Amino acid sequence: MANKLLKKENLGKLIDTLSGEGSIFVAPRMDARQVVYAPVEKMDEIVFDYIIPINSFKEFLFPQTETVAAFSIHKEGVDLRGVEIEPKETVIFGSRPCDAASVASLRAVFNWDFKDEFYNRREDKAVVMTVACTKADESCFCTTVNLTPDSPNGSDILLKETNDNGYIVEALTDKGKKFVERFNNIFTPQPSAFSLQPIADVKHIVGADVKKIQEWLKDTKNYENPIWAELARKCIGCGACTFACPTCHCFDIVDEGSAFEGERIKNWDACQFEFFTLHTSGHNPRDTQYKRWRNRFMCKFNFYPNKFSSRGCVGCGRCIRVCPVRLDITEVMEEVSNQP
Amino acid sequence: MNNIYLPYLTTIEDIYEEAPDVRTFRLVFKDEKVRDAFDFKTGQFGLYSAFGAGESTFCIASSPTRKGYIQCTFRKGGRVTGALTDLGVGDTMGFRGPYGNWFPVNEWKGKNIVFIAGGIGLPPVRSVIWNCLDRREDFGEITIVYGAKSVADLVYKNELAQWSQMSDIKLVQTVDPGGETSDWKGKIGFVPTVLEQTAPSPKDAIAITCGPPIMIKFVLQALEKLGFSSEQVYTTLENKMKCGVGKCGRCNVGDIYICKEGPVYTAAEVKRMYNDF
Repeated sequence: MANKLLKKENLGKLIDTLSGEGSIFVAPRMDARQVVYAPVEKMDEIVFDYIIPINSFKEFLFPQTETVAAFSIHKEGVDLRGVEIEPKETVIFGSRPCDAASVASLRAVFNWDFKDEFYNRREDKAVVMTVACTKADESCFCTTVNLTPDSPNGSDILLKETNDNGYIVEALTDKGKKFVERFNNIFTPQPSAFSLQPIADVKHIVGADVKKIQEWLKDTKNYENPIWAELARKCIGCGACTFACPTCHCFDIVDEGSAFEGERIKNWDACQFEFFTLHTSGHNPRDTQYKRWRNRFMCKFNFYPNKFSSRGCVGCGRCIRVCPVRLDITEVMEEVSNQP
Repeated sequence: MNNIYLPYLTTIEDIYEEAPDVRTFRLVFKDEKVRDAFDFKTGQFGLYSAFGAGESTFCIASSPTRKGYIQCTFRKGGRVTGALTDLGVGDTMGFRGPYGNWFPVNEWKGKNIVFIAGGIGLPPVRSVIWNCLDRREDFGEITIVYGAKSVADLVYKNELAQWSQMSDIKLVQTVDPGGETSDWKGKIGFVPTVLEQTAPSPKDAIAITCGPPIMIKFVLQALEKLGFSSEQVYTTLENKMKCGVGKCGRCNVGDIYICKEGPVYTAAEVKRMYNDF
């Protein structure tokens, strides 16, 4: 499929048409003076000048809270009803390439052997329309984890900004191609001449070597290395990194309701919390904060790549931006890379 | 829509008081089709729900050779086990499973089997014991070493009495020093010590152990002293679980998800794991 052109002025028409069809249009917009991925209804709600939204868009594939069953309890027994979901088409406009790359990671976790249809049905209905980055901040490190500010991984459609208020449109997946064809009045033929805005220059952190980190983590002896306790000493266990992270997938399942009826709910949870692994007996395999921090780092650079052949870290930098104690994952990456 | 979080409904058919705060439920699937089709292997586990309180993970304590029902044994401790304790015969419970791997019982044909359990660690081992006893001719000598803190804390007292009557089983029971009663006829001492005294031969033998982490640690050392190789020793690991299907992210020991790649491991496999217990 030949590349197309999307003029910014046509975005309004796209939003109107999609809304008319009952679809959801997610885009970067302001919320409490921060740029977030959230549904928009009008084009002027969209923020075009942004680096990266404060949240990842995983909440549109894997909601922060989701009811999986409902029950009522009465004398004769329990009525149990499984929840069926029929998600609406959800277009995620203005995704960043790092966030798009995280979709494959979530898909892997929610589908090894047992298939989580809550996740799958949402992902099936999501169209990821990524805009390549022309700006980055000091927390961005995609190039250190072998991605780029214009990498296509995980996007259905990749947009690159031109210098005259438009995007060059590349449909990457079948889903993306169908979407572009469906709106052929909005996606117009690519002009013969155009100039693209330069892609952001994200510097590779020289001291951080992902290959070396992965090798070092494979050695179970290094699990006992005193650097873990030293590096993670300042972590206060707030879990903010996990909620902001696009690949963090941990959740809890709880019952809520009255004594007679209620719901079974899947909620985001965090491996940084002490109760996360606490046994009823009082035993806790990850009883101190550094062990929980080590687990998260292992998840990113050992479990995800080895178990799920996917990326645990996409270099979005959110965990660095939200950390209240400036525990910078790239500093730990450098430290681990320096280990003999 | 296939909903992996939706449990089967079961009826509590019977409740046995095993020890203070320890109960065994006998559960029957309400749906006849599920009841007929349900199958599991010894060592597998499930998530049991008390609706309104949530789910908790226990092994299936009955043997797959006994059809038509499953059993679970649990100690009252947290919110879910507390709510389960409040349920009575005829009440409804949820069950999801069976999940996880199992003890390779079929590979043990002709072997001598040594069971070593402590306290509430007997339920998973008991599934294997009955599995072996129900096909007794497939195995050589069977030895059971079981101990608890006190006489009251021994679980499956009826079955212990039954096993002690069987001539083709060697049952050694023990309680921790101070836990004995005036009429206690078993041993007094910790399980690893009693195991060493019992001294089962490692020749053509398989050992299966479950109990508190500290007991397992010393049982493994005792077995090594007795000449068992770590490939001959099996254990079942437990960790907190919410999903049981490899997604919620909390039961992992390093890179190993207990719910999917476990809970049954040889001691050799446990030795190769990240120290995340």
